[in-house]
Amino acid sequence: MDTPDDTLAPETGRASRWDAVQPWLTLACRVGLAAVLITAAVSKYPPALSVQAVEAYDLFPPEVAQLIGYTLPLFELALAVLLLAGLATRYAGAVSALLMVAFIAGIASAVARGLSIDCGCFGGGGQVEPGETTYGLSITRDIAFAAMGALIAVWPRSPLTLDRALGLFR
Amino acid sequence: MGSEARRRSRERLKEQRRKEKRAAKRNRTLMVLTAAALVVVAIVGIGYLALSADRKSAAYDGALAPRALQEDGSVVMAQPDAQAPVVEVYADYQCPACRQFELLNGDVLKENAADGRAIVHYRPVSIFAQQQVPVSSNSLRAGAAARAAADHDRFVEYNDLLFENQPTEGKEGFTTDELKDWFADTDPTEAQQEQFDQRLDQEAAVVTRFTEEYLPALTEDAMEQIGQETLGTMVLTDLLAWGADHGHDPSFLEGTYTGQIIEATGNAYTRYSGDNAFRGTPSVYINGELLDNNSAMTARGLNEAIASAEPGEVDTEPVSDGGGAE
Repeated sequence: MDTPDDTLAPETGRASRWDAVQPWLTLACRVGLAAVLITAAVSKYPPALSVQAVEAYDLFPPEVAQLIGYTLPLFELALAVLLLAGLATRYAGAVSALLMVAFIAGIASAVARGLSIDCGCFGGGGQVEPGETTYGLSITRDIAFAAMGALIAVWPRSPLTLDRALGLFR
Repeated sequence: MGSEARRRSRERLKEQRRKEKRAAKRNRTLMVLTAAALVVVAIVGIGYLALSADRKSAAYDGALAPRALQEDGSVVMAQPDAQAPVVEVYADYQCPACRQFELLNGDVLKENAADGRAIVHYRPVSIFAQQQVPVSSNSLRAGAAARAAADHDRFVEYNDLLFENQPTEGKEGFTTDELKDWFADTDPTEAQQEQFDQRLDQEAAVVTRFTEEYLPALTEDAMEQIGQETLGTMVLTDLLAWGADHGHDPSFLEGTYTGQIIEATGNAYTRYSGDNAFRGTPSVYINGELLDNNSAMTARGLNEAIASAEPGEVDTEPVSDGGGAE
């Protein structure tokens, strides 16, 4: 099931070891990132609180904040479904990574403007005491998630994907 | 020559096969991407419709049940002699989550009260009174204004207007001019507007004195004498009581609506215990039981919680002169 593509260059010992490990690493990243996204989406319920978390960033007019508050958790859920099913795996990984980059930018802008807010990454959100912000942790976490997404985007080939069943790769 | 032609034709055939293979792969990729996009649109679209349905189910613009101002400055909205559960709503006018609660479930409360299915007890508080200006001053000024509107039986309408116009946390807002304009939007008589404006000017001065002079001085002294750690565990009313014994006379708050909301806030912290303890806003209680977010922050959850509760008793007394029914 992991026969190398015939266009690949002749292998060295090291390359074949990577070829053996990579599909499982990608699978682990897919499952891990999907779990993260599902947790993030579910913990943002109910949407009224998610809207409030978005508003705390003070970046969008109320109508836009409301739309983001309602749809962001659903989008996270949809990405998780794609990653788990292995449908358009490469693109789902890339979009997840970009989403994390957008989150990092949002948090960085909160830091730059001196806001004291909870990132609202996994529910919660809103104002916190100035001493109780956890921006460093949130950004570090999002960098790790972005790296997982990027790995999936670069090496999408992995076991248990719809992509394989649909003949996108062997 | 012949072999050269054969070689070229072989090359062409190979090239064509490569092209076909690339095209087939492109088509497969396109198909998979389309499928993935459909999955995303389906999940986001159906989910959004389902979540919005909850929000839209909450709309109500019928007549309000009668309101009665209570001795502690809170307001009860219910049909006369309604046998229904008591829904207490604690909110701070500067609190963003309270705004979300009000936008989502304000109409659910009105409808349940109008239909005699709930006794709605609005209990405005100022949990932000000890924060930095302008968060503290916005919160207190709006609270005092809502109380002044209640003198003219306009609390519920005014409460809506305050949340609709809530300033971003940390920005100056709820100015006296705005607060007066919003009262004018509730169709008062000229005499009522005049009384409201006068009262509001007095309260605004009290709020300024409290947040910019009295409290900073009191906090500094308390920090030195009892330490930050103990201070952190004290609610504002305890701190004021300490101040009264240590040269920070809080008597300028007596008889003011600003003082009343500070006291109401202190009482909220001691009214409930254990799992039901008051910790912040918005807090919604049904017959003294604190609702979790899934119940309080969805229209369906709140409706179900109200429908499944027994009738209850309001724990405050209406003001005797019927100030709410002016």
